[in-house]
Amino acid sequence: MAGAASAAAERKVTIRVLLVEDEEIHRVLARALMKAVGGVELDEAGNGAEAVRRVREGGAYDLILADRQMPVMDGHEATRQIRALGVTTPIVGLSSDSLAADVDAFIKAGADDFTPKPLSKEKLNHILAKFNLA
Amino acid sequence: MDAANQLTALLNNMFATGLLDEQFQQLQMLQDPSAPDFVSEVVTLFCQDGERIIGELAKLLEKPTVDFDRVDAFVHQLKGSSASVGAQKVKNTCVQFREVCQLKSRDGCLKTLDLVRTEFYDLRGKFQTMLQLEKHIQGFK
Repeated sequence: MAGAASAAAERKVTIRVLLVEDEEIHRVLARALMKAVGGVELDEAGNGAEAVRRVREGGAYDLILADRQMPVMDGHEATRQIRALGVTTPIVGLSSDSLAADVDAFIKAGADDFTPKPLSKEKLNHILAKFNLA
Repeated sequence: MDAANQLTALLNNMFATGLLDEQFQQLQMLQDPSAPDFVSEVVTLFCQDGERIIGELAKLLEKPTVDFDRVDAFVHQLKGSSASVGAQKVKNTCVQFREVCQLKSRDGCLKTLDLVRTEFYDLRGKFQTMLQLEKHIQGFK
């Protein structure tokens, strides 16, 4: 994670990211990537329902990264419910299925963007830049 | 050949034979003194996920009526886990597996399960050797 400290120092403001992901391997990878990018305070929800609850209870996030397939509530439904709360925080859908139909389904649910899994430093930097969070 | 050279040769072989792809290099780049066991942690999670999912798939495909949606959901999980660790061959076989699953072919699924099982255990064995070599090298530092 060379340069993580300098990257964090370069970003003047810490951003808050909510990761909605049920599988540990993806969470471990995302944590390492956020640390490498620097300046990110990461919060995690293990399924869509937990994510909706956190947002409803006032979690002020700068970015939400949501997996599609999860137990209890999937990423599409979570996105719909978060949007129904009037929340305009950028939501980026994540899935290892990245056909046009998979992307479209997330966008229709209310996501702003979609990134195929696995998440990488390059993809994360692209997302942060796209939403002026870099 | 010393342990460091053995490790380099093993990893080169894993890349050359398509077992691993560039995602594994991403993991290696994320490992540093503040997270010295990061690669080992991800590899261990992948090995645990794979063993569990392959077991679940075998059970589902033994049932008189196969729930292909559940089969597909487990294969999707294995595909995601493989992609995260850079297990290219296993991931590609998972893609084939899901295509067979869409055809609702039990025989096709069983054959593809055999293939994914062979590839997974081959990779797991090599990952275990890799971790042992790394441990050995660390012991001498």
